[in-house]
Amino acid sequence: MDPTLTVLLYSSLAAGTAALGAFPFVFRERLPITQIGWANALAAGMMLGASYSLLVTGLDRQVVRGAVGAALGILFVYWTHAASKTEDLDLNRLDESEPVYGYQVLLVNTLHSAAEGIAIGVAMIVSIPFGVFVAGAIAVHNIPEATILCAILTGRGVRVRDAGGLAVAANVSQVLLAVVTFTVISAAPSMLPWALGFAVGALIYLVMSELLPESYQQAGSTTIALVTLAAMGVVALLQGVGG
Amino acid sequence: MHPALVVFGYGLITALATGLGALPFAFLRSVSPKAVACANAIAAGLMLGASFGLVAESTQHGAWQTIVGATVGVVSILIAQRVLGRHDVEFGRARGAGAQRMLLMIVVMTAHSFSEGVAVGVSFGGGATLAVVITAAIAVHNIPEGLAISAVLRPRGTSVLGCAGWSIFSSLPQPLMAVPAFLLVEAFSAVLPYGIGFAAGAMVFMVLVELLPEAYGHARKPVVALQVSLTLIAMVLFQQYL
Ligand SMILES: [Zn+2]
Repeated sequence: MDPTLTVLLYSSLAAGTAALGAFPFVFRERLPITQIGWANALAAGMMLGASYSLLVTGLDRQVVRGAVGAALGILFVYWTHAASKTEDLDLNRLDESEPVYGYQVLLVNTLHSAAEGIAIGVAMIVSIPFGVFVAGAIAVHNIPEATILCAILTGRGVRVRDAGGLAVAANVSQVLLAVVTFTVISAAPSMLPWALGFAVGALIYLVMSELLPESYQQAGSTTIALVTLAAMGVVALLQGVGG
Repeated sequence: MHPALVVFGYGLITALATGLGALPFAFLRSVSPKAVACANAIAAGLMLGASFGLVAESTQHGAWQTIVGATVGVVSILIAQRVLGRHDVEFGRARGAGAQRMLLMIVVMTAHSFSEGVAVGVSFGGGATLAVVITAAIAVHNIPEGLAISAVLRPRGTSVLGCAGWSIFSSLPQPLMAVPAFLLVEAFSAVLPYGIGFAAGAMVFMVLVELLPEAYGHARKPVVALQVSLTLIAMVLFQQYL
């Protein structure tokens, strides 16, 4: 298969798994807040694991360029949050009925997935198996993230299947950025360290600004720390064993 | 001079360098909750960055051993938390949760120095010319670790000298472990991935369970996120170049 199509396929699969996040709401109307905390911690751990894997592959390339790229990635996400006035938004308000809130959450989720798309595209450049590995980690982590989004959407009266669909739609930016990143860096390989750093920085900032802050009040610090660390450990271990 | 003494001496120099991490706090006097949050976020970034570097190195020796070591590290912190939680701990002027956090920080950073000491000793086995380079590298690398400890102690009322003292104390296992590791390189290089796993697991868990929740509690999340992630990247860059 043409490598670009491989990237398209795996990033589409990753975006598609978000639909599974709506699954719990087929059986119940709402989830206890503790489970939202679990979902946050699971997603945070897997994202940290993915950024660790990317960071490690970046260490034997040009580290300074990677670090500058990372700083740019961090500042870019910080700026998008600040510019859209979502930087202090609580992303887990399940019974907020204000119309604006729904759109803000969808926007934040779409920007979040875009950064993860860059991570998939960059990893595919490093090597196709590594790219598949990162896409897999992102795919699994999309499920708990989509569950949180669906909890908010169904709480606002969106039907379960529409909520699942919107969760996938918010991840279309992942597919788009994965393919664009892959194509552009294939054409200009010298951009790899910058883009690798950018993805690492953006992912770490997203974990610290979106996933972890609310989680501690939802499920308690010991639970959150254990779940996050376990999820991170599994991803890092799979990467270590795989090579 | 006996080579073991030389190794001890070099290890002592690296330990003393940790004290330099207290210097930036000479100018910090305020103990506002915001200052504590900011210091926590910086310590979190430093420790996460250090752990990323450690794990990257250790998985090359053995991924499973690293995981086993990390699990033991996490369980140890959990036990230490329980034990400290049962007593009304005091640390200098601090009491209760704050004092507990300060003590845990010292325990975690001291425990993590054991594996670094082993790393120093094992690498000294490689030859004397390499040794000076490694000593210099570890000494410089210790400074931000002293910074992390001071970031937790200083805003809670410990003096700058006290911060420097505890920073050096946390690195004392380096000279102590370097000597046996140097004498028994074979045996110690086998346990190294366990040790590094332990250090990384304990540090990441400390960040997730103590430092981040308190930081989020007292400062806006974009501020915390910015400080943690930028410090993490700076730490990785710093350690990679030394
Ligand atoms: Zn994510």
